[in-house]
Amino acid sequence: MDQSAILEMHGVNKTFDKVVALSNVDFELKQNEILGLLGGNGAGKTTLMNILFGLYKMDSGKVLLSGQPVTITSPRDALLKGIGMVHQHFLQINNFTVIENIILGSKVSQPFTANYAKEEALVQKLCTQFSLEIDLSARIETLPMGTRQKVEILKALYRGVKVLILDEPTTNLIPQEVDSLFQTLKIMVKEGLSIVFITHKLREVLSVCDRISVLREGKNVISLTRKDASDDMLVRAMVGEGMDLKNSVIFAEGLVSDQKTNKPAILNVKGISKINADKTQAISDIDLSIHEGEVFGIAGVAGNGQRDLAEVIMGIQPSTSGTVFFGGEEITKEDTKERISRGFVYIPEDRLADGFLNKVSVAYNLILGYHHLAPYSNKGFINWKNVKKSSKEMISEYNIKTTGPDEIGGNLSGGNIQRVMIARAFSQNSKLLIAHNLTRGLDIPSMDFVYKKIKTQSATGVATLVISEDLDELLLICDRIAVMYRGKIVGILTRDKFEKYEIGRLMSGYEQSQEETGKGK
Amino acid sequence: MSGIEVFLTDFLKLTFLSMVPFILAAQGTMLGGRTGVFNVAQEGIMLTGASVGFLVGYLSGNVLFGVICAMLVGGLFGLILAYFTTTLKMDQFVVGLALFFMGLGLSSLLPKIALGVTLTPPLIPTLPDISIPLLSKIPFIGPILFNQNILVYISVILSVALWYTLFRTNLGLRLRSVGENPKTADSLGISVNQYRYLTSIIGGMLIGLAGAYLPMVYTGTFTDLMVKGRGWIAIALTFFGGWSPIPIMFGALFFAGVEVLSFRMQVGGGIFPYQFLIMLPYIATIIVMVFTFGKAKVPGFLGQNYDRERRSL
Repeated sequence: MDQSAILEMHGVNKTFDKVVALSNVDFELKQNEILGLLGGNGAGKTTLMNILFGLYKMDSGKVLLSGQPVTITSPRDALLKGIGMVHQHFLQINNFTVIENIILGSKVSQPFTANYAKEEALVQKLCTQFSLEIDLSARIETLPMGTRQKVEILKALYRGVKVLILDEPTTNLIPQEVDSLFQTLKIMVKEGLSIVFITHKLREVLSVCDRISVLREGKNVISLTRKDASDDMLVRAMVGEGMDLKNSVIFAEGLVSDQKTNKPAILNVKGISKINADKTQAISDIDLSIHEGEVFGIAGVAGNGQRDLAEVIMGIQPSTSGTVFFGGEEITKEDTKERISRGFVYIPEDRLADGFLNKVSVAYNLILGYHHLAPYSNKGFINWKNVKKSSKEMISEYNIKTTGPDEIGGNLSGGNIQRVMIARAFSQNSKLLIAHNLTRGLDIPSMDFVYKKIKTQSATGVATLVISEDLDELLLICDRIAVMYRGKIVGILTRDKFEKYEIGRLMSGYEQSQEETGKGK
Repeated sequence: MSGIEVFLTDFLKLTFLSMVPFILAAQGTMLGGRTGVFNVAQEGIMLTGASVGFLVGYLSGNVLFGVICAMLVGGLFGLILAYFTTTLKMDQFVVGLALFFMGLGLSSLLPKIALGVTLTPPLIPTLPDISIPLLSKIPFIGPILFNQNILVYISVILSVALWYTLFRTNLGLRLRSVGENPKTADSLGISVNQYRYLTSIIGGMLIGLAGAYLPMVYTGTFTDLMVKGRGWIAIALTFFGGWSPIPIMFGALFFAGVEVLSFRMQVGGGIFPYQFLIMLPYIATIIVMVFTFGKAKVPGFLGQNYDRERRSL
């Protein structure tokens, strides 16, 4: 293997409004390798690669491509220089077809006819070469995530890139799709490409990467080849010295579940269905019960009705049919405020739209939704002394990086906004916590902190409904996992039956067509 | 010819004549919106277009020159809108409303500066009808469709050309991508700002032309507030037509029909009070909106500003 460096970055610095994202970072990618760029949320991995791709401007530093210094000022520039990037959130136009998305922005043979036959033939050739199977005339919005990712990869290949950066490419994929992605990456390296694989998942880098670089808090930690790397080393590099690994949830081995289904059920959902305004079925015939102290997970590819289910249980949306019982009483008709008084707590999926107010202070945000309850409120008047006091406590306990309770919410970073949501939820005297994408944007120690909180709460009998697209997270903390597909629960597994590929099969709707064959996709 | 046929011929001919400002203003709005720039200053731009078109036409004695100037002024409004929203990233709605008020004031100020107060209204010649040989001889249809002023033909050709450009050319594909998802377009090397400026300016020119049509065809002179809400209706029409040129053209025909009908009924006198009749186009707008707004296919990034370095949370 040719091991000269195809791409180098030296002394890269970048700040966003006074927040230092990268400080003096070096980076090297060798010819024909898969490099794992590892780090937790906020480590600066994506920022570094966005600079390379011309999306961000660096404050200082230099970039060498095949030994020659280059300046990359825009994505167009990056593509012309042979650098492509597959973003975590796919950059695709939903109502365009696959071929339109692939050729968009490039020269076409017939610019005045919308006839892309020549281009299609070219793409078809690439599909065969890299064994990517895609219907080129399908509309993007109709495709599953795994296929949309292939489109994204094809876009880069079509432009003849030599270096491909993949940002958290496994986030929305089921385990089977992850395997097939890794196959593709290996083919690409064989065909002469060099790949940067950004991830926060240790196992992934160890299974597919040739070399690994770790970033933490915007600084280089270590770079080493896979055979020199060990789990322990990488974990330590990712989380830093401050974290107590022995007592962590994330890195603990063999957690056992203590049969919480023996305890009384606190939430019973029976035959809940919801039909959207446009007559489509959002969720259909959901049955589930969650027991006291149980951590109940809902797995599924994003957009399979998880959000509707959470909102129906919270009383934000009405259900079309079915009943909800809480502690033995029917609450189907109760509104959200009444449910909150019963001890419901909700962390919504879209924190900016549904959970957080950008223009008011952190203190306001910390009491939002519970402001009418003691100790924040007394006979309809807010007791600001109590609010200030408890916000200060929450800010320090949950490690929210802010100038104080009076800072405007919108100044906070995404991770800190999530911390506010978590602080708010865990500071209530709750009986049922519903959390959708609970740890989005958090770094590893904070994630671990949240998991510990859940464990402590559930020991006191609080039931938790965790909805997550991160299967690893669910496997880690849940007692049971239900899988949603197209608005239905297609399976519920207990902890002793947890198996990644089985859940992956359910997530892809495999059960619906199980009779056909046993060979998967 | 029977009375009914005379009435119908007359009605339809006027309807096609009146659809032009709706088409031009709505296509202008649509074009900007297709790259995400949502213009809401139509009423003001049309007024200024009418004012400038008339004044220049009157003072220079050349109506074509007036038309060109009206379009240039409209384009200038589009440029200002693009600058404040695309370069300075200010709220599109706020800037649009400011431009509306600016156009409103400017349109009535300009004639007072240029002409002073006159007792008899100064007039420019209105656009003549052009008969298309042979086609205009077809009974019934001929006089309605093929004996109209040149802008009637142009507005139809423009609609078809816009449809072809947007949906059948590579340029159109790029343009639409900017309005759907500018980040994606940007990542593929499409200059988001360039397309937003381009469509906002051309859109403004079309809206300016829509304004100039009024004195050139209807009245021969400029009167204050002569656009009479047609600019606002053009916005509604754009949604009604699903931001697509051909449906917009037919929508314009519908609104023009309602407008002509309301005039006809005013002239005819009769049972309906005048105030009710001038409400008619707006009532039609509301009814149409109730049934179409929810389902309207709107460009994904309509009314928003794109900032490459803004981190998504």
